[in-house]
Amino acid sequence: MRILIVEDDPVLADGLTRSLRHGDYAVDCVNDGAAADHVLAAQSYDLVILDLGLPGLDGFEVLRRLRRRGASVPVLVLTARDGLSERVKGLDLGADDYMIKPFDLPELEARVRALIRRGLSGGGSELTNGSLVLDTAGRRATLGGDPLDLSARELGVLEVLMLRSGRVVSKEQLADQLYGWDEEVGPNAIEVYVHRLRRKLEPAGVSIRTIRGLGYLLEKGPSV
Amino acid sequence: MSEGDAGARPAVRKTTLRRQVILWLCWPLLALWSVSSVVDYDIANRFVNLAYDRVLLESALDIGRQVKVLQDRIYVDLPEIAVQMLQSRESGRLYYLVTGPQNEYITGEPDLPPPPDPFSGRVNYYDEDYHGRPVRIVTLHLPLEAGKSGSMVMVQVAENRAARNEFARQILLRMVLPQALLTIVAGMIIWYAVGRGLAPLITLRREIENRSHRDLSALPEEQAPQEVRPLIRAMNALLERLSLALVAQQRFIADAAHQLRTPIAGLKTQTELALRQTPSGDAQTTLRQLRSGTEQATRLVNQLLSLARAEPTVGRGQAIERIDLRELARDATTDWVPRSIQRNVDLGFDADSQRAEVDGDAFLLREMLNNLLDNAVRYTPSGGQVTVRVAASTTGPTLSVEDNGRGIPATERTRVFERFYRVLGTGAEGCGLGLAIVSEIAQSHSAEVTLHPGAGGTGTIVSIFFPALSHDVLPAPLSTT
Repeated sequence: MRILIVEDDPVLADGLTRSLRHGDYAVDCVNDGAAADHVLAAQSYDLVILDLGLPGLDGFEVLRRLRRRGASVPVLVLTARDGLSERVKGLDLGADDYMIKPFDLPELEARVRALIRRGLSGGGSELTNGSLVLDTAGRRATLGGDPLDLSARELGVLEVLMLRSGRVVSKEQLADQLYGWDEEVGPNAIEVYVHRLRRKLEPAGVSIRTIRGLGYLLEKGPSV
Repeated sequence: MSEGDAGARPAVRKTTLRRQVILWLCWPLLALWSVSSVVDYDIANRFVNLAYDRVLLESALDIGRQVKVLQDRIYVDLPEIAVQMLQSRESGRLYYLVTGPQNEYITGEPDLPPPPDPFSGRVNYYDEDYHGRPVRIVTLHLPLEAGKSGSMVMVQVAENRAARNEFARQILLRMVLPQALLTIVAGMIIWYAVGRGLAPLITLRREIENRSHRDLSALPEEQAPQEVRPLIRAMNALLERLSLALVAQQRFIADAAHQLRTPIAGLKTQTELALRQTPSGDAQTTLRQLRSGTEQATRLVNQLLSLARAEPTVGRGQAIERIDLRELARDATTDWVPRSIQRNVDLGFDADSQRAEVDGDAFLLREMLNNLLDNAVRYTPSGGQVTVRVAASTTGPTLSVEDNGRGIPATERTRVFERFYRVLGTGAEGCGLGLAIVSEIAQSHSAEVTLHPGAGGTGTIVSIFFPALSHDVLPAPLSTT
């Protein structure tokens, strides 16, 4: 996994680089827009972490040029500005996620993982959470290597939760995911599926938290 | 802002301005009226005297014509009826005295006062007292024989002054009373005219008084009269400079806060990284303190930004749109779930099925909710509960954040809305800007913030009551989770 960090603040760039290297990513770092544009034109990456306020070529322009070249690499934008219009502009230009400085390192790492996963999921891949592994292509789940007995709908719910692990997933989002298989899925049915999933995942220490009035959240299980 | 004296001062200013104009117009008017009354009295007296004197002279001439000489004896041939007529005139009784060339008594009242200067001309008028009453006396010198100036007879006729004084008073009254009336009417017209003339100023005053401190837009100039326009223009120029200065200041705060964010991010990342690589011990304690310090700096920077934004006339421009508070609150609450899990606080959301719409600035409203959530999640002990609620009603939607933390003592409840105020004993975290931001943003949305203890007297409920939209709130199906 190769990540490019574009950040002009040396302390932050160094912190990011080292923390991501600890996460076993190959990390390159450049500190101005023109250099970033240059590197991105020549090299392919699995993720770009892009600061917007860069000397020379600003982050928006780097992003615009990157997308104009047809590159689909996921881009996580970092910015010191939090205006709504900035956020919209960034996402319109093709940023995949957006974080406002100063951010929590664990949250950044989680988003990096999610973005890389999303970038790879085109080829059908595995989602993991602790000892829980979900093969989205083969539609099978294993817990510590042992196959889990899940219905198609339970698998659907689990997939959504794992894709957005650590974040709140609303009942509507879950219902949307299951919609189209047969009849419409009501909120009560969702509760039933989540209840069953919980029971089956409990032994592995993977827990699905209920967030009152908002939905569910899959907590990160103990790593293997 | 001291609202108290702001309310009292303009009233004094108003009466003073009007009173001054009226004083400066009414006193001279009154003085003119007094002077004119004196002059009138003089004129009335003069004409009355003239008229009465002429009649008096006629009487003297009449008597003079009756002076006869018979065998060197001078006598006055006054028939009884003539004497009666002289004594019973309507304008008061006449007294007369005729004396001869040697000043000898001929007829009439012998004690009539003599003229002050007996030889001062043919006809002479003077005022004297007679029997204790003021009288007017005419003295007429007549030759005893027509054409001969040798021996002269003196005829004196006196008349009580009361009648002519009364007449003069009548004339004066008839002149002065209408003038007084005129003066009063003029005063009333002045009062009204001054009021009318000052109306643009009073309107201007009201315009300024009713303004909120966040409104620095120009005062309307079109309706104002020519004389007031320069004042309005000067005031508008001041408002403009003020608003420019304010924008510059807010921009400075915003820029400073933005500039601080990157180094803080670096510090935070490095600290986090160091913590991971440091085994427990003194060094780790230090790093933990460092991390909590950077977290506090982060929060302060974010809140300074919110405050700069929430303040009036920010260059950002007002982005007012129709917002369903339920969506906004749900998104904001969702954002806080990871942090509440970290702190082991049960964060929940609850909303009516009715739309809860407000016209507002989505960004600011979200900042407001973020600050409320930050407070609630921060000050609720581990294992506690925080619930965000959105309720619609005919009086307008309500947004509330309830926690079952330690609560805020009644004595502190108004003070917590002040900037940099912190409730004692809540730990060192936080910088006391959160509720100041909340109240600032609520104000800019004409919403009211209240702070109450939670159910059963524990915890805190902060509620924000928004005004109802002009149209009716329509129930719309939107299922809640």
